[in-house]
Amino acid sequence: MVLNMTEGPVKKPVNGNGCCRTSNGVKPGMNGCVKNHLYQQHSYCSSDEKSSHICHNGGIYKRPFKESFEETPMLVAVLTYMGYGILTLFGYLRDFLRQWKIEKCHNATEREEQKEFVPLYQDFENFYTRNLYMRIRDSWNRPICSVPGAKFDILERVSYDYNWTFKYTGRIVNDVINMGSYNYLGFAENSGVCADAAAEITLKYGVGVCSTRREIGNLDKHEELEKLAAKFLGVDAAMAFGMGFATNSMNIPALVGKGCLILSDELNHASLVLGARLSGATIRVFKHNNMQSLEKLLKDAIVHGQPRTHRPWKKILILVEGIYSMEGSIVHLPDIVSLKKKYKAYLYLDEAHSIGALGPTGRGVVEYFGLDPRDVDIMMGTFTKSFGAAGGYIGGTKELVDYLRTHSHSAVYATSMSPPVVEQIIASMKCIMGEDGTTLGQERVQQLAENTRYFRRKLQEMGFIIYGNDDSPVVPMMLYMPAKIGAFGREMLKRNIGVVVVGFPATPIIESRARFCVSAAHTKEMLDTALNVINEVGDLLQLKYSRHRLVPLLDRPFDETTYEENED
Amino acid sequence: QVTMNVGVAHSEVNPNTRIMNSRGIWLTYALGVGMLHIVLLSIPFFSVPVVWTLTNVIHNLGMYVFLHAVKGTPFETPDQGKARLLTHWEQLDYGVQFTSSRKFFTISPIIIYFLASFYTKYDPTHCFINTASLLSVLIPKLPQLHGVRIFGINKY
Repeated sequence: MVLNMTEGPVKKPVNGNGCCRTSNGVKPGMNGCVKNHLYQQHSYCSSDEKSSHICHNGGIYKRPFKESFEETPMLVAVLTYMGYGILTLFGYLRDFLRQWKIEKCHNATEREEQKEFVPLYQDFENFYTRNLYMRIRDSWNRPICSVPGAKFDILERVSYDYNWTFKYTGRIVNDVINMGSYNYLGFAENSGVCADAAAEITLKYGVGVCSTRREIGNLDKHEELEKLAAKFLGVDAAMAFGMGFATNSMNIPALVGKGCLILSDELNHASLVLGARLSGATIRVFKHNNMQSLEKLLKDAIVHGQPRTHRPWKKILILVEGIYSMEGSIVHLPDIVSLKKKYKAYLYLDEAHSIGALGPTGRGVVEYFGLDPRDVDIMMGTFTKSFGAAGGYIGGTKELVDYLRTHSHSAVYATSMSPPVVEQIIASMKCIMGEDGTTLGQERVQQLAENTRYFRRKLQEMGFIIYGNDDSPVVPMMLYMPAKIGAFGREMLKRNIGVVVVGFPATPIIESRARFCVSAAHTKEMLDTALNVINEVGDLLQLKYSRHRLVPLLDRPFDETTYEENED
Repeated sequence: QVTMNVGVAHSEVNPNTRIMNSRGIWLTYALGVGMLHIVLLSIPFFSVPVVWTLTNVIHNLGMYVFLHAVKGTPFETPDQGKARLLTHWEQLDYGVQFTSSRKFFTISPIIIYFLASFYTKYDPTHCFINTASLLSVLIPKLPQLHGVRIFGINKY
């Protein structure tokens, strides 16, 4: 069954609006955006030299949009490759020693009786896991034994066989500053209004729902939550699901199918990618945040239609995220909305990280840019990050949400949200909106914005390379070399700061990073402590690579390759 | 191709395909060959022709092993092992031929061969060894030999 999304609200683009061809290729003033009556020249003004990139579009962006993705210095890239090369050679040596039993083999192998069978374990595919990841494994999966608020407690572990096994010393490291949790508004707490409300509801409704939404699991709390979420987002209706990942992967198949086209950003999250894959639609990937790439794909799609038959696509859906958590970049939403209106595509916005974290009152990336929420066809988000709960939601027109209530896999087969979680979301949402009578929510949103600006500015001043937009609370700091990944994680823990580090193959090979998540629960003293420690560790590990030379955003190589899912 | 990439910062299914296009890897490779050459030159027993032949042979041997003998990826990819039976050369750019990194890695052994032939003064023995070594590393790069396994060697 194909969802018949009416084209009513989308206005026809106004053609004679003084459009001049800008370097972006996007016609200015075509977004029909209700609030943007200040049409100006859509001027892409970059600084004089080619190497700077401050993207300051005057027209549809009402405030400076500063992003930076400073390029890897060449010396650092060469040293990084050498590092990986040496690790690979040593890996081969150790594998050789293990195979000839000179060294003890710790990982899983078949039993002696099964040696002649077809191999159960692919040895080579675990090469990196065995030889790189195991060496620095103590920076991940650290057991926490308190609520992950601004500070938490960690169980100390020690390893006597180079991280193959861990033993707990029994000591608890107290008050480690938490720079890794997605606790943007500080609602991850075990005391306070939200926690008390959740506890009360547990006493009233219990913890388990024991049914799906369509059977007996539809509580009045769920209805209340959905009305509140719709009000929060400024849309007609909303629907909540028990798991954020499942919201994406179960609802995209309900909205698009075979014969539809999905245009998804390069760096989309696994849930979006899985949902797109499950739907059976054709998937084309455009370069991250690159509007030229997206427009080219849209034009090709509309001109050529479906691959062999050249029939028009049934639907074109653009999948983007509000804040990309690994890059810290914010989506160019005004450009995308104008493109979507010009080419009559639908927009699916995943605000997992940006809801509650951006915008003057925390309503997300749509409010951050001052756009109309009705321009985004499907507003999806999660309650996991800023609301301190679990689950996801989808907001949109009433027809869309009614359709999803009957056709979404999540609604039909997945258990509905647990009552204390629902109450936590209701309480935190009311707090953010100010409906509980205090200004606590507004203070938190402002505190987060201040903390973000302060933290980013200080890190940039210190000379680290930071990726992403100046307003995004996700701060990836580049480490580059494989050894520094492990060293950074360990040194920070020694100085009582918990961070998240990521390396190859999860990131491109020369872009391993540490990702800080700023929270409204961090006080200025905590941030100062963290910054001093980062400064110290940065000097120790020589991480201050920045040469304050910014790279032009649209100059990232845009080659002709697009990736298309094979039709079968 | 788009698949489920859990916990990764990009939607690249197989990072091996992009690694030779990364910034700075050609420079690292050239520096690596230079280092090898300098180390060999510092050994007092070898004359200059012998050193150049050795550089050529060791470079081609290394290139053969890493690009044309080792199959699959050293990390798990989310595409359920499509590239498990492919050598690194075959994985580059998802099998698209004549990309810039493929051209670079085809031309570099030829350049080293020219230099080696010059410095060995076109001596027949050296020429034979160098040519055999060059052929062993050029022939697998031909597009016609993409995915071909002669006599079933290295098939699984």
